[in-house]
Amino acid sequence: MKLNRREFLALTGKTAAGAVIFAACGLPERELIVQSPVDLPEDLVRGEDAWYATTMGDFTTGDGVLVRVMQGRAKKIEGNPDHPVNRGKATARYDSVLQLLYHPDRIKEPMLRYSKAGNLVGVSWDQAESRFRNALAGSSGALTVVTNPLRGHLGSVAGRFAQKFNGKHMTFDPTEQGVLHCAVKSVLGQDQLPTFDIANARTVLSFGADWLGTWGSPAQFGVKYGEFRGGSRGYLIHAEPRMSLTSAAADLWLAPKPGTEGDLALGIASVIVNEGLVDGSNVQAFLSAVPGGLRNYDVRDVAVRTGVPFNRIQNAARHFADHTPSVAFGGGSAGAHTNGSFNLGAIYALNLLVGSVGSAGGVTPNPGSGIDGVPASATGASFQSWEEELAQWRAGNVETVIIRGADIVHGMPNTVAIREALEHVPNVIAFGAVIDDTLDVADLVLPELTFLESWGSDIPEPGPGYQVVGIQQPVVGPTVSQDESGLISDARGFGDILMKMADGTIGSTMEQMVRRAISDLHSSGRGSVSASTPALFTKGVLQRGGWWNTGTKGARGVTGRISNEATSANYSETASLGEGDDFHLVPFHSNSLLDGRLAASPWAQQSPDPISSASWSTWAEINSKEAEELGIKEGDVLLVRSTSGEIEALAYPHPGVRPGVIGVPIGQGHHAAGRWAEDRGANVLSILTNEKDSQTGALAWAATRVRVQRAGRRVKVPKFEGNVEARPVEPGFPVLVVGPNETAEAAKEANHHEYQKSLFNDDYGSVDHE
Amino acid sequence: MQQRRTLDQPYTNRVLLNGQLDTPRWWAPAVAILGIAVIIGLLVIGAMINKGLGVTGLGRPVYWGLFITTFVFWVGISHAGIMISAILRLTQAEWRRPVTRAAELLTVFSLLTALVFPLIHAGRPWRIAYWILPYDFARGIYPNIRSPLIMDPVAIGTYLTGSTMFLYVALLPDLGNLRDRTTGWKNSLYTVLALGWRGNPRQWKMQTVGGILLSALMLPIFVSVHSIVSWDFAVVPSVEGWHSTIFAPYFVIGAVHSGVSAVVTMMALMRWLWKWDDFIRPEHFDALARLLIVVATGWLGFTFLELIFALYGQDAPEIALREMQMFQWPWNMLFIIFFLTAYAIPVPLWLFKRVRTNIAMMFWTSILVNVGMWLERFLIIVPGLARRTPFVYTWEAYRPSPVEWTIFVWSFCWVTFLMLLFSRFFPLVPLFEQKESQVFTQDVAIGRAKVPAIVREAD
Amino acid sequence: MTTASFGSHNWGMVVDVDKCIGCQACVIACQAENNIPLNTQDRVERARTISWIRVERYWEGDFPDTKARFIPIMCQHCENAPCEPVCPVFATYHNAEGLNVQVYNRCVGTRYCANGCPYIVRFFNYWEPVWPESLRNHLNPDVTVRSRGIMEKCSFCVHRIRRATRTARSEGREIADGEIQTACTSACPTSALNFGNFNDPNSKVSKMREDQRHYTLLDQFGTDPNVIYLAKVDPDKKVSVGEAASHG
Ligand SMILES: Nc1nc2c(c(=O)[nH]1)N[C@H]1C(S)=C(S)[C@@H](COP(=O)(O)OP(=O)(O)OC[C@H]3O[C@@H](n4cnc5c(=O)[nH]c(N)nc54)[C@H](O)[C@@H]3O)O[C@H]1N2
Ligand SMILES: Nc1nc2c(c(=O)[nH]1)N[C@H]1C(S)=C(S)[C@@H](COP(=O)(O)OP(=O)(O)OC[C@H]3O[C@@H](n4cnc5c(=O)[nH]c(N)nc54)[C@H](O)[C@@H]3O)O[C@H]1N2
Ligand code: SF4
Ligand code: SF4
Ligand code: SF4
Ligand code: SF4
Repeated sequence: MKLNRREFLALTGKTAAGAVIFAACGLPERELIVQSPVDLPEDLVRGEDAWYATTMGDFTTGDGVLVRVMQGRAKKIEGNPDHPVNRGKATARYDSVLQLLYHPDRIKEPMLRYSKAGNLVGVSWDQAESRFRNALAGSSGALTVVTNPLRGHLGSVAGRFAQKFNGKHMTFDPTEQGVLHCAVKSVLGQDQLPTFDIANARTVLSFGADWLGTWGSPAQFGVKYGEFRGGSRGYLIHAEPRMSLTSAAADLWLAPKPGTEGDLALGIASVIVNEGLVDGSNVQAFLSAVPGGLRNYDVRDVAVRTGVPFNRIQNAARHFADHTPSVAFGGGSAGAHTNGSFNLGAIYALNLLVGSVGSAGGVTPNPGSGIDGVPASATGASFQSWEEELAQWRAGNVETVIIRGADIVHGMPNTVAIREALEHVPNVIAFGAVIDDTLDVADLVLPELTFLESWGSDIPEPGPGYQVVGIQQPVVGPTVSQDESGLISDARGFGDILMKMADGTIGSTMEQMVRRAISDLHSSGRGSVSASTPALFTKGVLQRGGWWNTGTKGARGVTGRISNEATSANYSETASLGEGDDFHLVPFHSNSLLDGRLAASPWAQQSPDPISSASWSTWAEINSKEAEELGIKEGDVLLVRSTSGEIEALAYPHPGVRPGVIGVPIGQGHHAAGRWAEDRGANVLSILTNEKDSQTGALAWAATRVRVQRAGRRVKVPKFEGNVEARPVEPGFPVLVVGPNETAEAAKEANHHEYQKSLFNDDYGSVDHE
Repeated sequence: MQQRRTLDQPYTNRVLLNGQLDTPRWWAPAVAILGIAVIIGLLVIGAMINKGLGVTGLGRPVYWGLFITTFVFWVGISHAGIMISAILRLTQAEWRRPVTRAAELLTVFSLLTALVFPLIHAGRPWRIAYWILPYDFARGIYPNIRSPLIMDPVAIGTYLTGSTMFLYVALLPDLGNLRDRTTGWKNSLYTVLALGWRGNPRQWKMQTVGGILLSALMLPIFVSVHSIVSWDFAVVPSVEGWHSTIFAPYFVIGAVHSGVSAVVTMMALMRWLWKWDDFIRPEHFDALARLLIVVATGWLGFTFLELIFALYGQDAPEIALREMQMFQWPWNMLFIIFFLTAYAIPVPLWLFKRVRTNIAMMFWTSILVNVGMWLERFLIIVPGLARRTPFVYTWEAYRPSPVEWTIFVWSFCWVTFLMLLFSRFFPLVPLFEQKESQVFTQDVAIGRAKVPAIVREAD
Repeated sequence: MTTASFGSHNWGMVVDVDKCIGCQACVIACQAENNIPLNTQDRVERARTISWIRVERYWEGDFPDTKARFIPIMCQHCENAPCEPVCPVFATYHNAEGLNVQVYNRCVGTRYCANGCPYIVRFFNYWEPVWPESLRNHLNPDVTVRSRGIMEKCSFCVHRIRRATRTARSEGREIADGEIQTACTSACPTSALNFGNFNDPNSKVSKMREDQRHYTLLDQFGTDPNVIYLAKVDPDKKVSVGEAASHG
């Protein structure tokens, strides 16, 4: 048989054999593979899952979440799309909480220390409770309840418990926001945080606060930021000495000298006023809130004082005034100075200048709590009041301290010698899920349920501008059950135990309290859930993760005057610190560990820091040019010394820090925090000095100056980035940057030309010769 | 040209069978030491398979390192056999005769060794059957024949089969010879292996035709094996320095360079260890060195072409890669060693006849070539992966771990061990070929000197 | 931009780089969703971390004009994937819905595909992954826990696609646009990440990729990715109109 080529192809094309041959010779694989009739891994779907709504407890400022539960185990935490605060979105911290829930080092049972010098030994809950009662018996008037700033029902329970025993409720936040609340009050007339209407603003001007990363409610702000960037794209100006996520996202980054943020804000104001960019009535409103006016804030002087170039201040001012609505806010390191109240006051006052108080795209006040007696706002007690409190402990005036959610041993600077103060307290009772530095020195350690296992509520702060009550419900049973790994934990709720110890005078259980609150909401007849019966209403609220009422908006109070007690900042001294180079220490929250409360989670530990990409360690960010001059290379172990102590950190030079500033993440350096965190990295909080905000007495945690010296060792920084500085090899790759209205195509073309020119000098394409 | 003595058949038999009939005294200790090294190596391999590839220095994005380099190296060495026994046989180069067997043997053993590397470098070597065998007819799942990793085992498997058959066919007359000279269990062994070799004309004819046919059949393998190995790299579009158009011939000629050099090394060793001065003579080294000059220079041309391609095309990533290979620490150090050892030192030396006929010089220069050729493979494979990619963010270097180095060293011990073991039971120099050549040899007068000449019988 | 259509769905992602703030929420969400082994310090130091999605940060400029640019990178699910033809065992192949699928069971661990992938998004398990027993409680039962010696990479959360497909089929309806959210798109606070069906011209992602800012990574390799990026906007960038034209 003779076939010509065409016939052969026609023939084989029709046969199965032909199909296989041609498939094998280069047709795509998909035609070669017979899909699996049995399960391929990509096909597997096993079991049914359930998603329960709850709120994020201590790990956010009130985000609503959905928890995926299968066979009684929590698998995943995602944003609750119904929830008005974070609208279904998440942060890098959410899932890490699962690892606290199932942490192999979760405290399994109550533990008791029989004498201060002894060890913690496991005891039964009965024994623990009788020890607790004994402690309370002699403590009337000499009791302090220490918690993290608590909103919602837990906050009210802690407060009422302290009250019952004539004690105090002290809140603790290592990077306290007391200054912020005070400044907000001076401008808005109420100290509850307002809503920043970022989504509708055309210009956002922010200071100090890393609101896209760690400050306030990053999931909420992130959603708004996404909207801000969509449509007619807004312009973001951010001022901070060290580049954070927010600075990185900014269109214009101003890096003032630490402590001069108020100067900078008034410098901006002075440009606006001098150039007549806003209405006179706004100027009047502004000036009446700013004692002393703008006399000392000529922009050229401000440029010198803040270290921000004159034209940048001018650009910022013009943008802020011209592209309205615009909003100004700040916090974080901007308020953590001896002149913190002035700084933040000046910043918030800028809103008066552009008339954005109470309007869309500006700052809008939030309404109070929807539930009587349940706080809607909370902040840490000031450092000054803590110093006073610790003096009481030392003097032996406090018999019992009950601690929950506040790692005071880790969080307080060396200057207050917190461990020593605790030694003077006969009964230190601490609650927690995983051991931390404070639990480690307590006399009685009580295993606490995580928020995934317990009842509660939260009033988000800052809220969305209307009334919201987030409801927290147990999504998995208390983990007393045995599984293959044995007992996870025989934990109980903090609120429940307090109520039991108060013999029912506060309430019986958190669950009952929360359910009662829900039915109270039902009787108010307003809000997002409407149902005929209380039972159906409760169900609806639990399903949606809370209740909100868009009708109840916040009202603006009377504008006061911002603080002018100290307009320029003082810093701690370095003269006595021996050899080294002087730097300004700017501590910042770790993107994954926050202030250390997630340090025990390996996901939080491994999560690369967005800027340095480092993980599992404590590093020190330093300007790359400056590092080069000082001969500091990446991985050099640096001794960072203040008058309060010394830590070691790995040098990470990069171009996003102001020269003279050294940025160190908070969150590591625990003695006890479970297998993944203990004795890892260094605790930058410990070397803070006791500088305070002159008005509120808050800790000026960004006012410490340090002396930095190389220890003479170099180690590999555990980071995700490779071993060269990550600058694009060719322009526009992988991040293509376009100008306004430029197409990607055009930008690529231009980049390509630029690249070729840089490679092959002038012989690629025509170039003008000078 | 030196004079040489006339060799008679009994002398040839006695000297060439000294490995089998009269084992040299160094043999047992040498095999024992190598044996221990081999066992240590196997234990390390076992431990690696047991613990996982975490024990290597590999990471991301350098996913291939020392193992693949050494794989390519041993496949390269295996070209010794093809070059010497097939090409030279077909071109009737008479000087090949004493080294054909050893070269073929080196081929077989280096292929066996080469095959080990892709297997142990895989994350799950125990699943290796899935790799090459069509294993799941029920679901119609076959190996992906478009993958060079499928073509590799096919090509190498073919090569190994061919070489083994070739080796065996050539061994038959000598097995008969050994059978007739041994007693006891050895006699029984050789009796079975000799397949009834009697040396009658029909058997001789079949043996000769078989040899020639196998040579011819293996010629395509000469081109294909290392071409296919080169496609492991050449088909990858994204790794700079891999997707080169000239890889196939470049790899083949490089393989010949390293393979023939390995034969030179081995010949020197055979001459020293078994005192076969009468059979492995300076002329042989001279001839091989001449061949090597041509091969090496051809290979050098390809090496330079790679640079030319980068520069002529002004291909920025390619230029950046070459720049890294040649000028950045530590690659530049490796590059200089590579260039000196693979070409710049040995080839100019070989231009001198004094060097070409000096056994020690040839031994050391041929070793240098293989140091260089190993580095050449390393410099092709690793910098391409460890380079600064456009995704600078994931750029990391690679440092082989002690485990990888141990296994690398093991491969040399293993090949030598096998060769020595073989030499105990089979002659390394084919007796019958040797005798055949003696029949063909006569002295001719050139001027006043009598020099050996090789002539063929008239047809 | 051509995308072959194989069936009613061609899944893809549109990443608005202008909205990415580098917050890492996507990364952790993917770690949790897909049972990715813990990236211990040793693994970080030896460049052996597994991170199906990663956020790269590039520096431009120097102080005070420093810019840090973030870009999330996951498997691009190339229509013309260089990782596929080199795999000897078809452990990685293209499925009918535009996904580059990884079949763990078949993989023998040659790492050839990882060399082939220009995006460096394939990850090899150098060690057996270990979780302390109690942490295994949070493993996702929908996703295979990979053993050592094999490759893994972003699957576009194929188990979520399967689950949604099954649900839709059992309810006798089409999958709605936006019904399937991968773990990373669901987490991303700014909606920089968007997932959907390119075969549906009305889907959100189909519309987004019409944006004039759209580009793909490494288009010189002709991989035809199913992940489309929208360029970062810099309002202060000097665009010299017609500069390119003045050349040549
Ligand atoms: N831009 C650019 N273009 C070029 C070149 C260049 O350098 N640059 N080079 C030019 C040159 S030199 C050449 S040779 C051409 C090559 O161009 P083509 O000949 O198109 O080469 P390939 O794409 O390699 O192969 C063609 C197809 O054959 C299939 N195939 C493989 N084996 C078999 C088989 O056994 N049977 C059948 N039926 N099909 C098979 C392959 O899968 C593939 O789809 O390209 C030319 N074009
Ligand atoms: N990996 C891989 N290998 C292949 C192939 C493949 O597709 N992939 N295809 C095979 C085939 S079909 C072929 S034809 C060969 C082709 O193999 P080569 O001929 O090597 O082909 P190229 O790499 O296209 O071109 C070689 C170099 O020539 C330069 N060049 C261009 N124009 C000129 C000129 O005018 N003068 C000079 N001096 N140089 C010039 C180019 O810049 C390039 O660097 O490759 C074969 N090998
Ligand atoms: S590592 Fe696995 S998926 Fe990749 S090429 Fe090898 S066998 Fe295929
Ligand atoms: S991005 Fe890489 S792994 Fe994903 S399909 Fe493309 S080549 Fe394959
Ligand atoms: S699509 Fe799923 S698998 Fe892929 S990066 Fe996102 S979360 Fe991970
Ligand atoms: S979650 Fe979104 S914004 Fe955050 S890093 Fe990932 S892609 Fe960027």
